[in-house]
Amino acid sequence: MAAKLQTALEFSNYRQTLNNQKEVLKAKTESLLSYSINGGTFTIDRELITFVKILIDDKHTDAVLLDIYNHPIAIDLQNFYAEIMSRYFEVTNDYYVEYEKIRKARNVSSVLDLNNPGSESGE
Amino acid sequence: MRVANKSRGVIMFAHNNTEIDYIKLAYINSLLIQKYMGLDRTQITVVTDPHSLEHGKETIGIRKMQQAFKNTVVVDKDIKFKQSNVRLYKDTSHTAKNLQFYNVNRCDAYDISPYEETLLIDVDYLIQSDALNQVWGHNNELMMNWEYNDILAEREFPALERLGPTGITMYWATVVYFRKSAYAETFFNFVKHVKDNKDYYGDLYRWYGAIYRNDYSFSIAAHMLSGYQDKGIPQLPIKLYKTFDTDDVDQALDSNDLLLYLEKVRSPGDFILARWKGVDLHIMNKWAINRVSDTMIKHLITAKRPAKKVAKAQEIK
Repeated sequence: MAAKLQTALEFSNYRQTLNNQKEVLKAKTESLLSYSINGGTFTIDRELITFVKILIDDKHTDAVLLDIYNHPIAIDLQNFYAEIMSRYFEVTNDYYVEYEKIRKARNVSSVLDLNNPGSESGE
Repeated sequence: MRVANKSRGVIMFAHNNTEIDYIKLAYINSLLIQKYMGLDRTQITVVTDPHSLEHGKETIGIRKMQQAFKNTVVVDKDIKFKQSNVRLYKDTSHTAKNLQFYNVNRCDAYDISPYEETLLIDVDYLIQSDALNQVWGHNNELMMNWEYNDILAEREFPALERLGPTGITMYWATVVYFRKSAYAETFFNFVKHVKDNKDYYGDLYRWYGAIYRNDYSFSIAAHMLSGYQDKGIPQLPIKLYKTFDTDDVDQALDSNDLLLYLEKVRSPGDFILARWKGVDLHIMNKWAINRVSDTMIKHLITAKRPAKKVAKAQEIK
């Protein structure tokens, strides 16, 4: 019984670590999807990307967009679109790679990727 | 992202007490700021006192400190305040100590800052990314967060959300952005006013406990400046992530890669491991940072050397 309990506790610890690392990864992704330009700040998400693309398709070159503070910010649409698209794909691809890694991990050590210490990131 | 504009900079306050080496934390954070935010040493100012500076000269060395931060502002401590403001510091749930908490001069940041745009940050808010570069040139003249996120998502601590059980929302003075302007100046004048009349405002706003915290005076100043509206000052364009002083740092795997012990919610003294990479983090357990500080410094300094060697080799070629 003691061995069974020990295994159960270890599994519980693994699940807690796994869930928390998923949250940590989400935090990093959210942080990287924030983009400031012309004194305003935008969250790069599907809604923003789609809206900007619609404006470009409607032949607008500049537009005033409301940022996360609801401040009106004048934006050069073409450059803005290129920047947010590039950031979105870069960040979500990294998110996918990291997420897959921890999703497949079956113990605390591999969830934390402890065999790969000291890799630079976040720059 | 490189920030070359010299009218922008970071200011930190570092006053040691008998146990916590704040000047060393300021030294480490300055190196982190240079590495991840791309600021140079002239864009970092540390406000300290003669005793802490002397300790820094002995333990770190004046040359190394100047390589980390160019501007040092030395102020005398208010002895009466120093002796009266004592708080409980924890090094996990296993160790707790009452120590002096010298934080009275943070309200002078506006007057001290040599920069047009300033980021006022705690020395224990470790910079691990360039996220805070988003504040430069922002439309908001003053920003600080009232929202915080714990890195163990399920933990909640209601006392950190309001000044008192029925009080106003608490802003975190951990990271404050301000631009030199009449608005920001008025804000800091309010903070000074609250600090000078802390007994009165403590009673009026019914803040928790007896110690003076900048989070309280900054929150009350924000409330007054906003015409007594809650959450009147905008938040920074970043999320504020924090640990608790009941957590520990196991090791610094790199300068922006930490392995942490996080205390479980319903099991004090019991931990889970977490790895935190590339996002700025407020570490409340000061002993924990001091314990890994030498490793962090090693990561920060050795990381610079190969790049320099490569550059020199290319020059010779």
